[in-house]
Formats: sequence, C-alpha cells, structure tokens
Amino acid sequence: MTEPLPRGRWTHGELPASIRLGPGTLLSGDHALRRFRSGLADAVEVGSNTTLDGVHLALGESARLVIGDWCHLSSVMLLSEEEIRIGSYVAIGWNTAIADTDFHPIAPALRQADAIACSPIGAGRARPPAVSRPVVIADDVWIGPCTTILKGVHIGPGAVIEAGSLVTTHIPAGSHVMGNPARILDA
Amino acid sequence: MPRRIPNDWHPGVIPDNAHVHERALVETALCFESFRSEHARGLEVGEGSALYTGTMLDVGPRGRVRIGACCMLNRMRIVCDESVEIGDFSLISWSVVIMDTYRTAFDVESRRCALRHAAARADRRLGEPAPCRPVRIGRNVWIGFDSCILPGVTVGDGSIVGARSVVRDDVPPLSIVAGNPARVIRAIREEAGHA
Repeated sequence: MTEPLPRGRWTHGELPASIRLGPGTLLSGDHALRRFRSGLADAVEVGSNTTLDGVHLALGESARLVIGDWCHLSSVMLLSEEEIRIGSYVAIGWNTAIADTDFHPIAPALRQADAIACSPIGAGRARPPAVSRPVVIADDVWIGPCTTILKGVHIGPGAVIEAGSLVTTHIPAGSHVMGNPARILDA
Repeated sequence: MPRRIPNDWHPGVIPDNAHVHERALVETALCFESFRSEHARGLEVGEGSALYTGTMLDVGPRGRVRIGACCMLNRMRIVCDESVEIGDFSLISWSVVIMDTYRTAFDVESRRCALRHAAARADRRLGEPAPCRPVRIGRNVWIGFDSCILPGVTVGDGSIVGARSVVRDDVPPLSIVAGNPARVIRAIREEAGHA
C-alpha cells in the first residue's frame, strides 16, 4: 500500500479554510498571506505537487486564484482584485509580478479621489473603481525571472516568456516573446 | 578550517573553493546559499572588490565565477553553471541578473520532467542542466539596476547598460546600450570628461 501524499501545507502556520492546497503542494514564506484579503469561500485553489516558494498572495476582497498541478513559482507577486488562473506545469521565475488590475483609476479626478481615499487621512472613504481583467496562463508556460504580466493577458499553452519581459497583450500558444512591451521573436 | 566572515549575521562559511582576495569584501555568507561549485576555483574575487549584502551566487557544480579588482556588486544575482567573468572596475547595480544558462529546456516535455523532479526534491529546487553559454563582462562596465544579461553575452570594456535593460546581444566596447531588448544608443568618447 503506497503512502498517501502529504496534504498541501504552508510553512508558516495554519491556512485559512478558503485556501486549499492539493497533495504535495508547498507554500513557503511568512509574507505569503500578508496582503491576503479575499472573502470568497474558495479564494485560493491550488492543485497537487506545486511549489509556491516566497509567493505573495495579495488578493483583494473578491479575488480568486486558481493554480494547477506541478507548477513552480519562485518569489512571485500575485496581485489580484478579480481572478488569476494558472494551469499545470507552469514555471514562473523569481521577481515576477502578475497583476489583474490597474490598482488606480486613469482619469485624473478619480485618481485624486483615490489618492485621498488611500491616504492615512482618508480612511473609511470608498475608493473609486479601478479596471481589472482576469489573467489566464495556460499549461506548460515558462516565464523567466523579473517579468511583469499585466491585466487581461492570456498566455497560450507552451509559450516561453524571456526574462525581463513586460506582457500587455495575449500571447499565442507556443510563442517565444521578449521585451517591454513583449513582442514575439522571429524563429 | 571553515572561514567565517567577521560580524556576519548569517551562520554560513566561505566555501574552500572561493578565493576571495584579502583586500576584497564579501559582506555576508548568505551569498553562498546556492553556491554549489565543485571547481577548484569556483569563485575568484579580486583586490578591492565588494559583494554587498543581497548579492547571490547561484552556481552549479561545474560553474566558475571570476570577478576582477575594484568591482562593486550591489545586491545582484549571478546564475552560473559554466562561466561568468566580470572585469576590473565594473559596477553592477541592484537587482541585476547575470545568467549563463536558462536552467530550463525550450521543449515542453523536458520542462514537464523538470517540474516533476522539482516537486520530489526536499528543497523543491527547480533547475535542470541546460545548455550554458559563458558570459563575459569587460573591464570598467557599468550595468544599471534591474537589468538582465542573458546567456552568451559579452559586454565590451568601458560600456554602460542602462537601467532595466535586457541584453541578449554582445555589447561593443565604449557604448551605451539600453532597452528591452537592448540596443546601442550611442558611443562613449574615451577622452570626454562628461558623457
């Protein structure tokens, strides 16, 4: 009879019930939940045998995060107000930031109101809405270190994102991209 | 006799195959946390060079890192499975990554194998042997913060890499490059008192 796989665990304490990690999955780093504010019952769902090493789960109140099996994320900031969805066999290099939101409004008057609402003297004021759009990363994607993935991006299966890229548009399956803004490299 | 760095907050030691000049500074043994070189001279640091806290030497068993004299390595990261050389008087700013390998394959099946192996390791380290292309940073090179130097790149003597650049092509000597991917912006006049 084979040993059951260890349940997924966080190295720095008890997980909230809304965070579910599959067997063999490891979440490490005491900053992981420092900015975790999601109120959803199924806020975080991670598959099996995934390594989340030094990952920040900076989820807003109605944010959701889904990650598949056999992934490896190292020092990655996941900043979500809506949804970030990552498939299986995805490797994401250190210092990467993935954001599904603009965080602040574009229009100057709304931005000023947001600055007040965010300030120590604006506590309690409602913040104006900022645009958010889910990020979807398919299976077998490799994302190099020091990259930035912005809101609304869909990255197709098997794509390779070079170190230092900043991705703002959809990336087709199997592409090899580089740059700021990221562009598909000629074969 | 294991060598500890005086007043180091980190409990580590300087590896025996790390040859650091007596007048060079390695601020903390944290930098050796992922240093796994088995080369007899896995690390060489020349006179007057400094590796400040936050500088990380992620070196595989066959890797060899050579740093010249009077270099400043400020919270940067070297990934080396074969060879990374940095010439005298070079300035490497914070969060720069210099890598001689991607530590991953460019085909999906190999990446899946690597991810399965990583999950089975106690330390969960991801990184399989992959083709290496040595990196050579010349003398008197200045690399701006947050830049990436990709495998196989040679940066010519005296050149400047602007902040947040990603360098994938060789940089000629006495040039300023910037951007992602980095392109030559202009040449530096050797005799100029100002740029």
